[in-house]
Amino acid sequence: MRFLIGLACVVTCAAVALGQAQEQKNPLTGDPTAIQEGASLFRANCSPCHGLNASGGGRGPDLRSGRWVHGSSDAAIFRTISQGVPGTEMPANSFEDSETWALVAYLRSVSAGTKPVAGDAAKGEKYFLGAGKCSVCHMVKGRGGWLGPDLTRVGAARSVSYLIDSLREPNKDLSLGMTDPNNHYVYPLEYETVTVVTKEGQRIVGVAKNEDTFSLQLLGQDQNLHLFLKKDLREVRHERRSLMPAYPQAVLDNAELQNLLAYLTGLRGEQQ
Amino acid sequence: MNIVTARAALALATWILCVTPGRSQVSYDRIRNAAQEPQNWLTYSGDYNGWRYSRLDQISPANAGKLAVGWAFQSASLGQFETTPLVIDGVLYGTGQDNRAFALDARTGRAIWRYQRRLPDKVEACCGMVNRGFAALGETLFMATLDAHVVALDRKTGNVIWDVEAADYRQSYVFTVAPLVVKDKIIVGVAGGEYGVRGFIDAYYAATGKRAWRFYTVPGPGEPGHDTWTGNSWKTGGAPAWITGSYDPELNLIFWPTGNPSPSNNGGERKGDNLYSSSMLALDADTGELKWHYQFTPHDLHDYDATQIPVLLDAPWQGRPRKLLLQANRNGFLYVLDRTSGEFLSAKPFFSGLTWAKGIGVDGRPVVAPGSEPTAEGTRTCPGALGATNWFSPSYSPQTGWLYVAVAEECDVFTSAPQKYHEGHDFIGSVYVQASGEQPSGALRAFDPLTGEKKWEFKYFSPPNGGCLSTAGGVVFAGDSDGNFTAFDARSGKDLWHIQLGAAIYSSPMTYLLDGRQYVVIPAGAALFAFVLPGR
Repeated sequence: MRFLIGLACVVTCAAVALGQAQEQKNPLTGDPTAIQEGASLFRANCSPCHGLNASGGGRGPDLRSGRWVHGSSDAAIFRTISQGVPGTEMPANSFEDSETWALVAYLRSVSAGTKPVAGDAAKGEKYFLGAGKCSVCHMVKGRGGWLGPDLTRVGAARSVSYLIDSLREPNKDLSLGMTDPNNHYVYPLEYETVTVVTKEGQRIVGVAKNEDTFSLQLLGQDQNLHLFLKKDLREVRHERRSLMPAYPQAVLDNAELQNLLAYLTGLRGEQQ
Repeated sequence: MNIVTARAALALATWILCVTPGRSQVSYDRIRNAAQEPQNWLTYSGDYNGWRYSRLDQISPANAGKLAVGWAFQSASLGQFETTPLVIDGVLYGTGQDNRAFALDARTGRAIWRYQRRLPDKVEACCGMVNRGFAALGETLFMATLDAHVVALDRKTGNVIWDVEAADYRQSYVFTVAPLVVKDKIIVGVAGGEYGVRGFIDAYYAATGKRAWRFYTVPGPGEPGHDTWTGNSWKTGGAPAWITGSYDPELNLIFWPTGNPSPSNNGGERKGDNLYSSSMLALDADTGELKWHYQFTPHDLHDYDATQIPVLLDAPWQGRPRKLLLQANRNGFLYVLDRTSGEFLSAKPFFSGLTWAKGIGVDGRPVVAPGSEPTAEGTRTCPGALGATNWFSPSYSPQTGWLYVAVAEECDVFTSAPQKYHEGHDFIGSVYVQASGEQPSGALRAFDPLTGEKKWEFKYFSPPNGGCLSTAGGVVFAGDSDGNFTAFDARSGKDLWHIQLGAAIYSSPMTYLLDGRQYVVIPAGAALFAFVLPGR
C-alpha cells in the first residue's frame, strides 16, 4: 500500500512538475550575460555534433533554422536539452537549470527562423526512388538499399547545408558510422570506401561496418557482408572518399535539387 | 597437560596466528625490492622505477602463441576499466568503476570480498568514473576515491580501517590515481584539470590517515612561481596530478608529473608559464618540499598534460653514469632529464607529424610554432588533444634496453573561447574536434630511450588507450582501443598472439606467478582477464 501511495505521488508530482515546466518561459531570454554563457557552454558541449555557432554538423541539425522538431516553446527546448531525444543521437544532459536556460537564450539569439525549403517534395521523392537511384543504397522507412546511411529521419537530424554538401560534394565530410558505447576516445567509423584485394587477387569494394588491426567487416557494393581476417588479404585500401556518387549541376539541376531537399527535409521519422 | 599449560599453549598459538607478522605483510622494504619477488605485483608500476617490467620468463616468444584464458572476473559496470591490480601472496586486489574494489583468489578469479564507497549524486569526473588501483602496506590497502576521499581497507575482509576527506568533490576535486606508498606514507595526487581545481599532491600516514603534507601544484601568493599566473587565474589553475609518480629511495625524491592548466584551451586569463602545470616535480618524500621542477609545456593550450609515468634509469650519459628520468610526454617528445638536479638533457619527437613546436631548445624550452594557438575558428594541431601518448604506462626492459610506448597518431582542430569559471563545472575554454578528412591511427613503438632511435613499431588501426608490460621472457604485452590484447616479441615487434576481448582496453597489463604458472592480467569492458599457458 505504501508503495502504491508512493507511486501515485510520483505520478502526480511528475505531472505537476511537467505541467509547470511546459508553462515555464525562459527567465534569461535576451540577457546578454546568459547568452554569452550559453555560447560558451554550447561550444564545449554541443558543438561537436551541432557545429560551431550551432550551424549544424555531421551528427546534429542546424539549430539556427527556427524549426524545432521536438517542440519550439522555451520549456520544450529546455526538455530536449536536459532529457535528450529517445531514438536519436541526442543525449540527456546534466546541466544546472540556469545553464540550460542560458543555452536556450543562446539558441534563441542565433535562431533567426528560416522558411521551409522551397520545392516539390513529391517530385523529390520520385527522383529519390527513380532517376536518382538514391534508394539503391539508402533506406527510408524500411524500403531501399543497405550500403549508405538510413535516411528515415534525415530531415530532423541534418542541416540543409549538410544535405547539399552530401549531394554535391559527398567526400567533403564523410558520414559517421557505428559508435561503440564503450569507446570514449576513438572517433566513430565513417562511411568510407574501402577496397580489399584477397591473396587470390579478388577485389572487393565496399563500406567498412567495423575494423580493427586484425580483421575487417565489409558491406560490399554487392550489398552483402564480407568478413575478413587481414592476414588473408593482400591489401586493404582506405580511400578517404565516399562510395556515394556526386550529384553535380549537370546531373541534378538546382530545381531538382530543391525538390529533393524538400523531400529529404520532410523525412522526420514519423510513424506511418 | 594441565589446564593452565593448555591455556598458555592456546594463547601462544593464537598470538602466533594473529600477531606474528607473516609473509603476507607488505613492508616498505618489500616494495623497495619488488623486482626481486616477481611472483607478486606490489605497486602500481611493478616497482618504484616506473618500469612495468617483470623478471618472470615462463611466457616467451616460443610459447606465447598458446596463451589461453585462465579465468575472468566481472566487475559491475561496462566502461573504462583502468585498474592495475596488485597481487600479494596468491590474492589479487583491484579497483573498478564507481568507487568499487575487490579481492580475488588469484588462482581462480573467485571473489573474496567486494567493496564500494557509495558515490554521491553528482560527481564530475572528466573522463569516466574510473580508478587505477590500490597501494598496499602491511595488512592494509589504500584507495583514492572519486569523491576525493582516501580510504584504508583491511586486506582480508575489505573492512574500512580509516576514511579521510582530502577535498570537496562538489568543487570537482576527484581521485582516479593509484596511490604510491613511500615508507610510512600514502601519496596521492588529485584530478580535476577540466574543472578549474587547484591541483595538489598529498601524503597521509598509513597508520592513521592523518595528512603529513600537501604540495599545491599551483603556487599561492608569495610563493615562487606565483608570478607565472595573471590576476586570480592561479585559484582555478588546474595542474592536477592524477597519475602515480615514481620514487628514488637513494635521493628520497618522489617524481610526480602534473596535468594541464585550466582552462585548457584558452590562455587569455592566465598569461605566463603557469607553473607547475604540465611539469615534472621532484618532491622530498618526507616533507613534500619541492627540490626541482621541469616544465615540459609552458603555458599549455592543447591539454598536453604531463601525466605520463616517469621512468627512472641509471645509465651512462655522454660518457658518465647518471641518474636519469625518462618520459614519453603527451606533447610528442621523449625527454631525458637528470633526476638529481632536474637538468634537461634531451628531447626527441616520437610522434610522426608534430606541429605545435619546432623542437625543444638547448635550454629545455619548446620552440613553439607560430600560429599553433587555438583560435575561435579552430587551428589544426598535432598531436591532438589526447596526445601522442597518455596516462597509460610505457614499459622499460633492461633486457633490451628499450622503452616501449603506445602512440596515438592523431591531430585535432582546437578552438578557443573565453569562459567564466563556475564552481564544480567544466572549465575548458572551448573544444577540440577531429581534423576533418584525416584517419587517426596508432602504434606500439620501441625506442632506444637515450638516443630516441625507433627500433620497431607495430601499427594499430585505432589510436590506443592502453599501456604495456615487458617481461624477462622477451615478450611485450599491450591492449588496444579495438579490444585486442596482444603479445609481441620484445626484440622484433612481431605479434605472437592476440585475443579479442570485446571492449576497448583502457589499462596496462601486469603479471604474477602462482603454482609455478605465469599469469598476465588485463581489464576490458567490465571484465578482468587472466591469461596463462595451458596444461602446465
